[in-house]
Amino acid sequence: MESEKKTIDIGDGAAIPNPDDPGLFTAWRIAFFGTLGIIAYLLIVHPDPYLEIIKFLPDGIVVTFKVTIASICLALVLGLVAGLGRISHNRAYNLIASTYIEVIRGIPLLVQLFYIYFALGRIVKVPDMIAAIIAMGICYGAYMGEVFRAGIKSIDQGQTEASLSLGFNRTQTMRYVVLPQAWRTILPPVGNEFIALLKDTSLVSIIAVSDILRRGREYASESFLYFETYTLIALIYLTITLILSKLLSIMESRVSHYEQR
Amino acid sequence: MSSVDPIITIRHANKFFGDFQALTDVSLHIDRGEKVVIIGPSGSGKSTLLRTINYLEPIDSGEIIIDGHALTAPNQDINQVRAEVGMVFQSFNLFRHKNVLDNLTLAPIKLKKEPRAQAETRCMELLRKVGMDDKAKSYPIQLSGGQQQRVAIARALAMTPKIMLFDEPTSALDPEMIGEVLEVMTVLALEGMTMAVVTHEMGFAREVADTIVFMDEGQIVETAAPEQFFTNPKNPRAQRFLEQIL
Repeated sequence: MESEKKTIDIGDGAAIPNPDDPGLFTAWRIAFFGTLGIIAYLLIVHPDPYLEIIKFLPDGIVVTFKVTIASICLALVLGLVAGLGRISHNRAYNLIASTYIEVIRGIPLLVQLFYIYFALGRIVKVPDMIAAIIAMGICYGAYMGEVFRAGIKSIDQGQTEASLSLGFNRTQTMRYVVLPQAWRTILPPVGNEFIALLKDTSLVSIIAVSDILRRGREYASESFLYFETYTLIALIYLTITLILSKLLSIMESRVSHYEQR
Repeated sequence: MSSVDPIITIRHANKFFGDFQALTDVSLHIDRGEKVVIIGPSGSGKSTLLRTINYLEPIDSGEIIIDGHALTAPNQDINQVRAEVGMVFQSFNLFRHKNVLDNLTLAPIKLKKEPRAQAETRCMELLRKVGMDDKAKSYPIQLSGGQQQRVAIARALAMTPKIMLFDEPTSALDPEMIGEVLEVMTVLALEGMTMAVVTHEMGFAREVADTIVFMDEGQIVETAAPEQFFTNPKNPRAQRFLEQIL
Protein backbone atom coordinates (compact mmCIF):
# COMPACT_ATOMS: atom_id res chain seq x y z
CA MET A 1 0.00 0.00 0.00
CA GLU A 2 2.70 2.42 1.07
CA SER A 3 4.89 1.66 -1.93
CA GLU A 4 1.91 2.10 -4.23
CA LYS A 5 1.47 5.65 -2.99
CA LYS A 6 5.01 6.54 -3.90
CA THR A 7 4.77 5.55 -7.54
CA ILE A 8 3.70 9.04 -8.58
CA ASP A 9 7.11 10.38 -7.62
CA ILE A 10 8.38 10.35 -11.19
CA GLY A 11 8.77 13.02 -13.80
CA ASP A 12 10.67 13.96 -16.88
CA GLY A 13 11.98 17.23 -15.46
CA ALA A 14 15.38 17.68 -13.87
CA ALA A 15 15.88 15.44 -10.85
CA ILE A 16 14.95 17.19 -7.63
CA PRO A 17 17.91 16.87 -5.24
CA ASN A 18 16.78 14.79 -2.32
CA PRO A 19 18.89 14.99 0.89
CA ASP A 20 18.20 11.26 1.40
CA ASP A 21 19.87 10.51 -1.91
CA PRO A 22 23.49 11.66 -1.44
CA GLY A 23 24.52 10.63 -4.96
CA LEU A 24 21.92 12.86 -6.56
CA PHE A 25 22.75 15.64 -4.14
CA THR A 26 26.41 15.56 -5.10
CA ALA A 27 25.48 15.37 -8.77
CA TRP A 28 23.38 18.51 -8.36
CA ARG A 29 26.35 20.36 -6.84
CA ILE A 30 28.73 19.23 -9.56
CA ALA A 31 26.27 20.23 -12.29
CA PHE A 32 25.35 23.56 -10.72
CA PHE A 33 28.79 24.84 -9.79
CA GLY A 34 30.26 23.34 -12.95
CA THR A 35 27.75 25.25 -15.05
CA LEU A 36 28.38 28.51 -13.21
CA GLY A 37 32.11 27.93 -13.52
CA ILE A 38 31.95 27.39 -17.26
CA ILE A 39 29.76 30.46 -17.79
CA ALA A 40 32.17 32.57 -15.71
CA TYR A 41 35.16 31.17 -17.60
CA LEU A 42 33.60 31.92 -20.99
CA LEU A 43 32.59 35.45 -20.02
CA ILE A 44 35.94 36.34 -18.48
CA VAL A 45 38.36 34.59 -20.83
CA HIS A 46 36.34 35.08 -24.03
CA PRO A 47 34.27 38.23 -23.45
CA ASP A 48 34.11 38.50 -27.21
CA PRO A 49 31.66 37.04 -28.30
CA TYR A 50 30.12 35.59 -25.09
CA LEU A 51 29.53 38.92 -23.36
CA GLU A 52 27.83 40.15 -26.53
CA ILE A 53 25.61 37.08 -26.71
CA ILE A 54 24.55 37.22 -23.07
CA LYS A 55 23.59 40.90 -23.39
CA PHE A 56 21.22 39.84 -26.13
CA LEU A 57 19.33 37.28 -24.03
CA PRO A 58 17.64 38.87 -20.92
CA ASP A 59 14.45 39.78 -22.85
CA GLY A 60 14.20 36.14 -23.89
CA ILE A 61 14.66 34.89 -20.33
CA VAL A 62 11.81 37.14 -19.18
CA VAL A 63 9.57 35.82 -21.98
CA THR A 64 10.44 32.21 -21.12
CA PHE A 65 9.47 32.81 -17.50
CA LYS A 66 6.25 34.61 -18.44
CA VAL A 67 5.17 31.76 -20.70
CA THR A 68 6.18 29.13 -18.12
CA ILE A 69 4.35 30.73 -15.20
CA ALA A 70 1.19 31.57 -17.13
CA SER A 71 1.12 28.07 -18.68
CA ILE A 72 1.63 26.31 -15.35
CA CYS A 73 -1.23 28.31 -13.79
CA LEU A 74 -3.53 27.31 -16.63
CA ALA A 75 -2.27 23.72 -16.45
CA LEU A 76 -2.91 23.54 -12.69
CA VAL A 77 -6.49 24.72 -13.12
CA LEU A 78 -7.14 22.35 -16.04
CA GLY A 79 -5.31 19.57 -14.22
CA LEU A 80 -7.44 19.95 -11.10
CA VAL A 81 -10.64 19.97 -13.15
CA ALA A 82 -9.48 16.97 -15.21
CA GLY A 83 -8.16 15.07 -12.18
CA LEU A 84 -11.44 15.53 -10.28
CA GLY A 85 -13.27 14.45 -13.43
CA ARG A 86 -11.25 11.27 -13.68
CA ILE A 87 -12.42 10.17 -10.23
CA SER A 88 -15.92 11.66 -10.50
CA HIS A 89 -18.99 9.46 -10.18
CA ASN A 90 -20.67 11.73 -12.73
CA ARG A 91 -20.36 9.74 -15.94
CA ALA A 92 -20.41 12.63 -18.40
CA TYR A 93 -17.84 14.64 -16.43
CA ASN A 94 -15.64 11.57 -16.04
CA LEU A 95 -15.83 10.73 -19.73
CA ILE A 96 -15.01 14.26 -20.86
CA ALA A 97 -12.04 14.49 -18.50
CA SER A 98 -10.72 11.06 -19.48
CA THR A 99 -11.08 11.78 -23.19
CA TYR A 100 -9.29 15.11 -22.81
CA ILE A 101 -6.39 13.40 -21.09
CA GLU A 102 -6.20 10.53 -23.59
CA VAL A 103 -6.38 12.75 -26.66
CA ILE A 104 -3.94 15.40 -25.50
CA ARG A 105 -1.37 12.90 -24.26
CA GLY A 106 -1.45 11.23 -27.64
CA ILE A 107 -0.45 14.33 -29.60
CA PRO A 108 3.09 15.69 -29.54
CA LEU A 109 3.35 19.10 -27.90
CA LEU A 110 4.92 20.64 -31.00
CA VAL A 111 1.98 19.49 -33.15
CA GLN A 112 -0.50 20.86 -30.58
CA LEU A 113 1.37 24.11 -30.55
CA PHE A 114 1.11 24.48 -34.33
CA TYR A 115 -2.48 23.29 -34.33
CA ILE A 116 -3.73 25.66 -31.66
CA TYR A 117 -1.72 28.54 -33.10
CA PHE A 118 -3.16 28.14 -36.60
CA ALA A 119 -6.62 26.91 -35.55
CA LEU A 120 -7.02 29.85 -33.17
CA GLY A 121 -5.66 32.10 -35.90
CA ARG A 122 -8.53 31.16 -38.19
CA ILE A 123 -11.14 32.19 -35.62
CA VAL A 124 -9.65 35.08 -33.67
CA LYS A 125 -6.44 36.97 -33.89
CA VAL A 126 -4.62 36.35 -30.61
CA PRO A 127 -1.11 37.46 -29.79
CA ASP A 128 1.49 34.74 -30.35
CA MET A 129 2.34 34.57 -26.69
CA ILE A 130 -1.28 33.97 -25.68
CA ALA A 131 -1.59 31.17 -28.24
CA ALA A 132 1.59 29.63 -26.88
CA ILE A 133 0.34 29.82 -23.29
CA ILE A 134 -3.02 28.28 -24.18
CA ALA A 135 -1.35 25.41 -26.04
CA MET A 136 1.18 24.71 -23.30
CA GLY A 137 -1.51 24.98 -20.62
CA ILE A 138 -3.88 22.58 -22.38
CA CYS A 139 -1.11 20.07 -22.96
CA TYR A 140 0.34 20.14 -19.46
CA GLY A 141 -3.16 20.23 -17.94
CA ALA A 142 -3.63 16.70 -19.24
CA TYR A 143 -0.45 15.48 -17.55
CA MET A 144 -1.29 17.42 -14.42
CA GLY A 145 -4.73 15.78 -14.39
CA GLU A 146 -3.11 12.40 -13.89
CA VAL A 147 -0.91 13.80 -11.15
CA PHE A 148 -3.93 15.22 -9.32
CA ARG A 149 -5.84 11.98 -9.74
CA ALA A 150 -2.98 9.94 -8.30
CA GLY A 151 -2.51 12.42 -5.45
CA ILE A 152 -6.19 12.36 -4.50
CA LYS A 153 -6.28 8.56 -4.73
CA SER A 154 -3.30 8.34 -2.40
CA ILE A 155 -5.32 9.84 0.46
CA ASP A 156 -6.74 7.13 2.70
CA GLN A 157 -10.45 6.44 2.17
CA GLY A 158 -10.91 6.72 5.95
CA GLN A 159 -10.27 10.48 5.74
CA THR A 160 -13.19 10.83 3.34
CA GLU A 161 -15.43 8.64 5.47
CA ALA A 162 -14.62 10.61 8.61
CA SER A 163 -15.44 13.84 6.81
CA LEU A 164 -18.71 12.50 5.38
CA SER A 165 -19.72 11.15 8.78
CA LEU A 166 -19.37 14.66 10.24
CA GLY A 167 -21.88 15.93 7.68
CA PHE A 168 -19.61 17.36 4.98
CA ASN A 169 -20.78 16.71 1.43
CA ARG A 170 -18.44 15.35 -1.26
CA THR A 171 -17.35 18.79 -2.50
CA GLN A 172 -16.61 20.08 1.00
CA THR A 173 -14.76 16.86 1.79
CA MET A 174 -12.58 17.36 -1.25
CA ARG A 175 -11.93 21.00 -0.38
CA TYR A 176 -11.33 20.83 3.37
CA VAL A 177 -9.95 17.33 3.88
CA VAL A 178 -8.66 15.57 0.76
CA LEU A 179 -7.05 18.30 -1.36
CA PRO A 180 -5.07 19.95 1.48
CA GLN A 181 -3.50 16.55 2.16
CA ALA A 182 -3.16 15.51 -1.47
CA TRP A 183 -1.22 18.71 -2.14
CA ARG A 184 1.74 17.32 -0.19
CA THR A 185 1.82 14.18 -2.31
CA ILE A 186 1.29 16.17 -5.48
CA LEU A 187 3.95 18.81 -4.91
CA PRO A 188 7.03 16.83 -6.09
CA PRO A 189 5.49 15.65 -9.37
CA VAL A 190 3.99 19.10 -9.97
CA GLY A 191 7.46 20.53 -9.45
CA ASN A 192 8.82 18.09 -12.00
CA GLU A 193 6.13 19.10 -14.47
CA PHE A 194 6.98 22.74 -13.87
CA ILE A 195 10.62 22.15 -14.79
CA ALA A 196 9.66 20.00 -17.76
CA LEU A 197 7.31 22.76 -18.91
CA LEU A 198 10.01 25.39 -18.61
CA LYS A 199 12.24 23.35 -20.89
CA ASP A 200 9.40 22.69 -23.32
CA THR A 201 8.73 26.42 -23.67
CA SER A 202 11.73 26.38 -26.00
CA LEU A 203 9.28 24.96 -28.56
CA VAL A 204 7.31 28.21 -28.60
CA SER A 205 10.25 29.89 -30.33
CA ILE A 206 8.92 28.22 -33.47
CA ILE A 207 5.67 30.20 -33.44
CA ALA A 208 7.36 33.59 -33.23
CA VAL A 209 7.52 33.99 -29.47
CA SER A 210 10.78 35.67 -28.51
CA ASP A 211 11.95 33.34 -25.77
CA ILE A 212 15.57 32.55 -24.91
CA LEU A 213 15.99 30.16 -27.79
CA ARG A 214 14.49 32.47 -30.39
CA ARG A 215 16.57 35.40 -29.22
CA GLY A 216 19.63 33.19 -29.49
CA ARG A 217 18.68 32.11 -32.99
CA GLU A 218 18.22 35.73 -34.02
CA TYR A 219 21.69 36.54 -32.75
CA ALA A 220 23.28 33.46 -34.31
CA SER A 221 21.75 34.05 -37.72
CA GLU A 222 23.21 37.55 -37.81
CA SER A 223 26.62 36.76 -36.37
CA PHE A 224 26.97 33.17 -37.66
CA LEU A 225 28.25 32.24 -34.17
CA TYR A 226 25.96 29.19 -33.93
CA PHE A 227 28.21 27.07 -31.71
CA GLU A 228 28.96 29.83 -29.21
CA THR A 229 25.33 30.98 -28.98
CA TYR A 230 23.84 27.54 -28.43
CA THR A 231 26.55 26.69 -25.90
CA LEU A 232 25.53 29.66 -23.80
CA ILE A 233 21.81 28.96 -24.24
CA ALA A 234 22.23 25.37 -23.06
CA LEU A 235 24.18 26.60 -20.01
CA ILE A 236 21.51 29.18 -19.18
CA TYR A 237 18.68 26.61 -19.37
CA LEU A 238 20.72 24.29 -17.18
CA THR A 239 21.35 27.01 -14.57
CA ILE A 240 17.64 27.88 -14.41
CA THR A 241 16.42 24.27 -14.09
CA LEU A 242 19.05 23.43 -11.48
CA ILE A 243 18.06 26.45 -9.38
CA LEU A 244 14.38 25.54 -9.71
CA SER A 245 14.95 21.93 -8.73
CA LYS A 246 16.85 23.12 -5.66
CA LEU A 247 14.03 25.50 -4.70
CA LEU A 248 11.52 22.71 -5.09
CA SER A 249 13.49 20.37 -2.88
CA ILE A 250 13.55 23.08 -0.19
CA MET A 251 9.78 23.58 -0.51
CA GLU A 252 9.24 19.86 -0.37
CA SER A 253 11.25 19.41 2.83
CA ARG A 254 9.30 22.29 4.42
CA VAL A 255 6.04 20.56 3.58
CA SER A 256 7.00 17.14 4.92
CA HIS A 257 8.55 18.79 7.96
CA TYR A 258 5.19 20.38 8.75
CA GLU A 259 3.57 16.95 8.61
CA GLN A 260 5.91 15.59 11.26
CA ARG A 261 6.02 18.64 13.50
CA MET B 1 -39.11 -6.14 19.69
CA SER B 2 -41.28 -3.30 20.87
CA SER B 3 -39.94 0.19 21.25
CA VAL B 4 -40.98 3.13 23.37
CA ASP B 5 -39.15 5.96 21.63
CA PRO B 6 -37.13 4.71 18.68
CA ILE B 7 -34.44 7.09 17.36
CA ILE B 8 -33.15 4.53 14.89
CA THR B 9 -35.47 2.18 13.04
CA ILE B 10 -34.15 -0.30 10.51
CA ARG B 11 -36.70 -2.36 8.60
CA HIS B 12 -35.90 -5.33 6.40
CA ALA B 13 -32.53 -3.99 5.28
CA ASN B 14 -30.65 -5.92 2.61
CA LYS B 15 -27.15 -5.12 1.43
CA PHE B 16 -25.11 -6.78 -1.29
CA PHE B 17 -21.43 -6.49 -2.20
CA GLY B 18 -21.57 -7.90 -5.70
CA ASP B 19 -22.98 -11.40 -5.28
CA PHE B 20 -22.23 -11.50 -1.58
CA GLN B 21 -25.14 -10.64 0.67
CA ALA B 22 -23.71 -8.73 3.63
CA LEU B 23 -27.04 -8.01 5.33
CA THR B 24 -30.11 -10.18 5.07
CA ASP B 25 -33.48 -8.82 6.14
CA VAL B 26 -32.11 -6.93 9.13
CA SER B 27 -34.59 -5.11 11.35
CA LEU B 28 -33.57 -3.23 14.48
CA HIS B 29 -34.88 -0.49 16.76
CA ILE B 30 -32.72 1.64 18.96
CA ASP B 31 -34.43 3.82 21.54
CA ARG B 32 -33.36 7.28 22.61
CA GLY B 33 -30.65 6.82 25.23
CA GLU B 34 -30.32 3.10 24.58
CA LYS B 35 -26.89 1.48 24.37
CA VAL B 36 -26.76 -1.32 21.87
CA VAL B 37 -23.67 -3.47 21.51
CA ILE B 38 -23.43 -5.49 18.32
CA ILE B 39 -21.26 -8.59 18.50
CA GLY B 40 -20.61 -11.57 16.31
CA PRO B 41 -17.88 -13.39 14.40
CA SER B 42 -15.83 -11.44 11.87
CA GLY B 43 -17.57 -11.09 8.52
CA SER B 44 -20.98 -11.34 10.15
CA GLY B 45 -22.07 -7.91 8.92
CA LYS B 46 -21.69 -5.97 12.19
CA SER B 47 -19.65 -3.14 10.73
CA THR B 48 -21.72 -3.06 7.57
CA LEU B 49 -24.87 -2.64 9.65
CA LEU B 50 -23.31 0.22 11.58
CA ARG B 51 -22.12 1.89 8.38
CA THR B 52 -25.59 1.71 6.84
CA ILE B 53 -26.94 3.79 9.73
CA ASN B 54 -25.10 6.89 8.50
CA TYR B 55 -25.30 5.87 4.87
CA LEU B 56 -21.58 5.22 4.37
CA GLU B 57 -22.96 1.97 2.93
CA PRO B 58 -26.30 2.56 1.20
CA ILE B 59 -28.68 -0.37 1.61
CA ASP B 60 -30.09 -2.08 -1.47
CA SER B 61 -33.58 -2.53 -0.09
CA GLY B 62 -35.44 -1.89 3.13
CA GLU B 63 -35.77 1.23 5.20
CA ILE B 64 -33.67 3.18 7.70
CA ILE B 65 -35.24 5.98 9.72
CA ILE B 66 -33.06 8.23 11.88
CA ASP B 67 -34.95 10.48 14.26
CA GLY B 68 -37.89 10.74 11.87
CA HIS B 69 -35.81 11.12 8.69
CA ALA B 70 -35.96 8.20 6.25
CA LEU B 71 -32.46 7.88 4.77
CA THR B 72 -33.90 6.14 1.76
CA ALA B 73 -36.41 8.91 0.99
CA PRO B 74 -35.72 10.45 -2.43
CA ASN B 75 -35.09 14.03 -1.35
CA GLN B 76 -33.62 13.41 2.09
CA ASP B 77 -30.47 15.47 2.76
CA ILE B 78 -28.10 12.70 3.83
CA ASN B 79 -25.44 15.18 5.00
CA GLN B 80 -27.84 16.78 7.42
CA VAL B 81 -28.71 13.42 8.96
CA ARG B 82 -25.04 12.45 9.12
CA ALA B 83 -24.27 15.60 11.08
CA GLU B 84 -26.55 14.26 13.82
CA VAL B 85 -24.96 10.83 13.86
CA GLY B 86 -21.39 10.77 15.19
CA MET B 87 -19.11 7.99 14.05
CA VAL B 88 -15.90 6.63 15.54
CA PHE B 89 -13.78 4.40 13.32
CA GLN B 90 -11.44 1.52 14.02
CA SER B 91 -8.59 3.43 12.36
CA PHE B 92 -9.39 6.79 14.09
CA ASN B 93 -9.22 8.72 10.78
CA LEU B 94 -8.19 12.01 12.35
CA PHE B 95 -7.46 14.67 9.74
CA ARG B 96 -3.70 14.39 9.42
CA HIS B 97 -3.17 17.95 8.22
CA LYS B 98 -4.97 19.57 11.17
CA ASN B 99 -3.99 19.77 14.80
CA VAL B 100 -6.18 18.23 17.49
CA LEU B 101 -8.25 21.34 18.18
CA ASP B 102 -8.73 22.08 14.47
CA ASN B 103 -9.87 18.49 13.94
CA LEU B 104 -12.69 19.24 16.37
CA THR B 105 -13.62 22.74 15.23
CA LEU B 106 -13.53 22.16 11.45
CA ALA B 107 -17.05 20.77 11.06
CA PRO B 108 -18.85 23.09 13.53
CA ILE B 109 -17.20 26.18 11.97
CA LYS B 110 -17.75 25.18 8.34
CA LEU B 111 -21.12 23.44 8.62
CA LYS B 112 -22.87 25.16 11.51
CA LYS B 113 -21.16 28.54 10.97
CA GLU B 114 -20.28 28.58 14.65
CA PRO B 115 -17.96 31.53 15.49
CA ARG B 116 -14.37 30.31 15.82
CA ALA B 117 -13.83 31.58 19.36
CA GLN B 118 -17.01 29.94 20.60
CA ALA B 119 -16.22 26.67 18.79
CA GLU B 120 -12.72 26.62 20.26
CA THR B 121 -13.94 27.17 23.81
CA ARG B 122 -16.57 24.48 23.43
CA CYS B 123 -14.17 22.02 21.80
CA MET B 124 -11.50 22.61 24.47
CA GLU B 125 -14.16 21.57 26.96
CA LEU B 126 -14.74 18.36 24.98
CA LEU B 127 -10.99 17.71 24.89
CA ARG B 128 -10.85 18.15 28.65
CA LYS B 129 -13.63 15.60 28.93
CA VAL B 130 -11.61 12.98 27.02
CA GLY B 131 -8.39 14.02 28.81
CA MET B 132 -6.72 15.44 25.72
CA ASP B 133 -6.82 19.20 26.38
CA ASP B 134 -3.05 19.34 26.92
CA LYS B 135 -2.53 18.03 23.37
CA ALA B 136 -4.80 20.56 21.63
CA LYS B 137 -2.00 21.89 19.43
CA SER B 138 -0.45 18.50 18.62
CA TYR B 139 -0.83 16.79 15.27
CA PRO B 140 -2.41 13.33 15.03
CA ILE B 141 0.88 11.75 13.95
CA GLN B 142 2.41 12.72 17.32
CA LEU B 143 -0.25 10.93 19.36
CA SER B 144 -0.59 7.32 20.47
CA GLY B 145 -3.45 5.22 19.13
CA GLY B 146 -5.43 5.55 22.35
CA GLN B 147 -4.97 9.33 22.34
CA GLN B 148 -6.00 9.57 18.69
CA GLN B 149 -9.13 7.57 19.35
CA ARG B 150 -10.10 9.78 22.31
CA VAL B 151 -9.67 12.83 20.07
CA ALA B 152 -11.77 11.10 17.40
CA ILE B 153 -14.56 10.62 19.93
CA ALA B 154 -14.36 14.29 20.91
CA ARG B 155 -14.41 15.28 17.23
CA ALA B 156 -17.63 13.35 16.68
CA LEU B 157 -19.12 14.94 19.82
CA ALA B 158 -18.22 18.43 18.58
CA MET B 159 -21.18 18.27 16.19
CA THR B 160 -23.44 17.53 19.22
CA PRO B 161 -24.85 14.36 17.66
CA LYS B 162 -27.94 12.61 18.92
CA ILE B 163 -26.45 9.20 18.26
CA MET B 164 -22.90 7.88 18.45
CA LEU B 165 -21.76 4.92 16.37
CA PHE B 166 -18.55 3.07 17.32
CA ASP B 167 -17.07 0.72 14.74
CA GLU B 168 -14.61 -1.53 16.61
CA PRO B 169 -13.09 1.52 18.35
CA THR B 170 -10.45 -0.47 20.26
CA SER B 171 -9.52 -3.14 17.71
CA ALA B 172 -6.54 -1.25 16.31
CA LEU B 173 -5.15 -0.35 19.74
CA ASP B 174 -2.33 -1.83 21.78
CA PRO B 175 -3.79 -3.65 24.79
CA GLU B 176 -2.63 -1.05 27.33
CA MET B 177 -4.56 1.69 25.51
CA ILE B 178 -7.90 -0.05 25.27
CA GLY B 179 -8.88 0.90 28.82
CA GLU B 180 -8.58 4.66 28.35
CA VAL B 181 -10.87 4.58 25.30
CA LEU B 182 -13.47 2.33 26.93
CA GLU B 183 -13.44 4.64 29.94
CA VAL B 184 -14.38 7.63 27.78
CA MET B 185 -17.13 5.58 26.13
CA THR B 186 -18.47 4.48 29.49
CA VAL B 187 -18.71 8.07 30.71
CA LEU B 188 -20.56 8.96 27.53
CA ALA B 189 -22.99 6.10 28.11
CA LEU B 190 -23.62 7.19 31.68
CA GLU B 191 -24.47 10.67 30.44
CA GLY B 192 -27.32 9.16 28.45
CA MET B 193 -25.96 9.23 24.88
CA THR B 194 -27.63 6.88 22.44
CA MET B 195 -24.90 4.49 21.35
CA ALA B 196 -24.47 1.65 18.89
CA VAL B 197 -21.15 -0.11 19.39
CA VAL B 198 -19.50 -2.88 17.41
CA THR B 199 -16.84 -4.38 19.65
CA HIS B 200 -15.07 -7.51 20.79
CA GLU B 201 -14.74 -6.16 24.34
CA MET B 202 -17.18 -8.41 26.15
CA GLY B 203 -16.50 -6.81 29.55
CA PHE B 204 -17.58 -3.44 28.16
CA ALA B 205 -20.62 -5.01 26.47
CA ARG B 206 -21.70 -6.60 29.69
CA GLU B 207 -21.22 -3.50 31.77
CA VAL B 208 -22.58 -0.79 29.50
CA ALA B 209 -25.07 -2.34 27.07
CA ASP B 210 -28.81 -2.25 27.52
CA THR B 211 -29.17 -4.62 24.61
CA ILE B 212 -26.84 -7.10 22.95
CA VAL B 213 -27.40 -7.79 19.28
CA PHE B 214 -25.73 -10.95 18.03
CA MET B 215 -25.14 -11.20 14.30
CA ASP B 216 -24.01 -14.08 12.14
CA GLU B 217 -23.84 -14.36 8.35
CA GLY B 218 -25.51 -11.01 7.78
CA GLN B 219 -28.48 -11.67 10.01
CA ILE B 220 -29.49 -10.63 13.50
CA VAL B 221 -29.65 -13.99 15.22
CA GLU B 222 -30.37 -12.96 18.77
CA THR B 223 -31.33 -9.78 20.61
CA ALA B 224 -31.22 -9.90 24.39
CA ALA B 225 -30.33 -8.07 27.58
CA PRO B 226 -26.63 -8.60 28.42
CA GLU B 227 -27.27 -10.63 31.58
CA GLN B 228 -29.45 -13.07 29.68
CA PHE B 229 -27.24 -13.17 26.61
CA PHE B 230 -24.02 -13.90 28.43
CA THR B 231 -25.42 -16.42 30.89
CA ASN B 232 -28.06 -18.14 28.83
CA PRO B 233 -27.93 -17.47 25.08
CA LYS B 234 -30.77 -19.10 23.22
CA ASN B 235 -29.33 -19.38 19.75
CA PRO B 236 -26.88 -22.26 19.18
CA ARG B 237 -24.61 -20.06 17.04
CA ALA B 238 -24.46 -17.48 19.83
CA GLN B 239 -23.67 -20.26 22.29
CA ARG B 240 -20.82 -21.48 20.12
CA PHE B 241 -19.48 -17.93 19.68
CA LEU B 242 -19.47 -17.29 23.43
CA GLU B 243 -17.76 -20.60 24.11
CA GLN B 244 -14.99 -19.65 21.74
CA ILE B 245 -14.30 -16.19 23.11
CA LEU B 246 -14.97 -16.51 26.84
